[in-house]
Amino acid sequence: MALREPAWRTFAAELNAALQEERGTTERAATYLLSPYGARMNRVLLAGTLSSPETIGKDPSQPFWRTRLVDPTGTIPVTAGAFQPRAMAQLQAVPGPRTAMVVGKVHLYRGNDGTAYISVRAEGFRTIDEATLRGIYADALAQSLDRLDLVQKLVGDPTLADDRFDGRPAAWIRAARESALRYPTADRPGYRAALRAVLEVVEGTRAVLPPASPAAAEVRVVPAEPSIPPPRTAPSAEERAQESTFLDLLDELVDNSSDGYADLKELVQRLAEHGMSSEMAEALLDRLGEEGVVEEPIVGRLRRA
Amino acid sequence: MVEAPLTNEPGEVRLKDLRAGDVPVHIVARVVSVERREYTRPADGRRRPFLAGLLSDGTASVRFTWWDPPLNEEIGRGTILRAQNVQVREYQGRPEVSFSFRTRVAPAGPADLPKVDSSDVPFRTISELRGRSEGFRLEARVVRVAPKTVTVGAEQRQVHEGILGDGTGLLAFSSWSDFHLTPNEAIRIAGAYVRTFRGRPQLVLDEASIVARIDPGRLPSIESLQPSEPQSLAKLEAAGGSEWAVVEGIVVALLPPSGLVYRCPTCQRPVAGGLCTEHGSVQGMADLRARLVLDDGRGTVTMNVGRPATESLWGVTLNEALERLRRSPDPSLLESSLAEEVVGLRLRARGRVFPDDFGLNLYPESVERVGVDVPARARELRARWEGDRGAP
Repeated sequence: MALREPAWRTFAAELNAALQEERGTTERAATYLLSPYGARMNRVLLAGTLSSPETIGKDPSQPFWRTRLVDPTGTIPVTAGAFQPRAMAQLQAVPGPRTAMVVGKVHLYRGNDGTAYISVRAEGFRTIDEATLRGIYADALAQSLDRLDLVQKLVGDPTLADDRFDGRPAAWIRAARESALRYPTADRPGYRAALRAVLEVVEGTRAVLPPASPAAAEVRVVPAEPSIPPPRTAPSAEERAQESTFLDLLDELVDNSSDGYADLKELVQRLAEHGMSSEMAEALLDRLGEEGVVEEPIVGRLRRA
Repeated sequence: MVEAPLTNEPGEVRLKDLRAGDVPVHIVARVVSVERREYTRPADGRRRPFLAGLLSDGTASVRFTWWDPPLNEEIGRGTILRAQNVQVREYQGRPEVSFSFRTRVAPAGPADLPKVDSSDVPFRTISELRGRSEGFRLEARVVRVAPKTVTVGAEQRQVHEGILGDGTGLLAFSSWSDFHLTPNEAIRIAGAYVRTFRGRPQLVLDEASIVARIDPGRLPSIESLQPSEPQSLAKLEAAGGSEWAVVEGIVVALLPPSGLVYRCPTCQRPVAGGLCTEHGSVQGMADLRARLVLDDGRGTVTMNVGRPATESLWGVTLNEALERLRRSPDPSLLESSLAEEVVGLRLRARGRVFPDDFGLNLYPESVERVGVDVPARARELRARWEGDRGAP
């Protein structure tokens, strides 16, 4: 099940402290940014002051806009290009600075010297008033503290079982474990202290103002093990023969059906007549499905992909 | 069916005890659902009829296939059969039965079914009922119930749909027999079974089910069985949906098709190219809808919002949307305008939540804009901040 990625409630400081990227190996896999605060983010929701947008790039057929979002913890670039037409139109529409909420995907660009540049590719904007901003900060602060607590506990005792964090999303526990592992020396009490500015904005004792330029975080990074996909052994002659029997019978059933699909149960029955057990047939179906030869768009109904 | 009525012979197996194997068995069961189908042999194109459906004897339900069934006899929902020399197979870890030319099938009566009411079957709680189950008793309170008319084949039937609760969870039910259920009463149910409907368990009651009123004091109050506070979307995702949930979050996206849509005047299905998939060429009726993605930072849910809620969130009525379309004939402008208006809104919604391949779908009974009590949240966060500082 490819669930939609939730928009992690976060702040500029967390994004700027995140240096670890996780790329999926499968086709169209999502990319995640792992933060020392215990988030494994693909999509984020941020709020703050957006500066005037500027266009970058010279090609007028490939418009690309950039702006900066400032929150009580720091600054983060926000971009929108031709692939986000609605976000781009909304970004261009307001020339001056404004208070806004941004939903978008995190993007990590690593320069030649290895420096990481994090930005957010906007999918949606909304201009908001100060009360709404403080509401969003209240959520984001509570969730950030929850996540920091989780990582801190796991740094203290990495063997703690998942059920010790009852009520926390499974995705958070997983992210916290990885975060504890990959950022062993991150200054988490320092991150927590920096969130005081957010608390004061929620309380109304601090104005929503751009902060002084944040100090670069000192973080030691343990590089991720490169994940190698398991080697695929070439199918044997016997497996090839089974595959061709499978596909021949599939084609027969498809030809004789009114809707262009072969019934899985019928196919398994026919294969049994050819001496193939239902387990073997299922395994074969899995393999052919993975290889993209056969598909099952309706449960129990098969066709050639 | 075969000529001589068979007597109650030894060796009769209850459906819950069926195991796949070479030994043919003897069963007595009631047809729960049945469909007449045909298999075409690819080799010579010969057609072979069969019946496929579900059998139940009150202890369990199993799928059945009946090859070359009698043509002139009515085998339908409710028919009770006695079958000897039945082959048992296993499919996806569940036993299935198949009637071949070797199987002797004869009509039977309710008295021939295994006696399974009262003390014979165990009590289950709602949280224990997952997937296909049968042969249990359940004590629960009716949280809501309403009649509904459905078309089954050529026939109009009334079904009573609702929700039961027992403190361990909520369970949707649909009753094909009228037990005169009313909200808030406490009941004990035997002879019902659980099937999966849109990825959620659903309790089905029919003529064979037994419903008894029990002391309502033994169950949690109806108020406590209904959700009132929003629950985390991550928890809802982990639970695979809910019969009745309250959720709260920020709208992070508007998914197509949203905005102005055209529906078949008969069945309300969306019309594509002037064609309804059921009713052919039709004059589509204009309607408004919005598919919103609600996000609470932990998980997401897609909400399918109908016309009244779309109008109120957008601030544009259907007639105004049509008028805008006449002025600038580009429907995507309408969708963009709707997106600008709804993305970023904080909403609270309640309704039924079903899972699918892309996550959860909520069919809202109510959708409302909500604000945040910022001073209260600030006090909460301050207390937590001070508490954390004191902690080691």
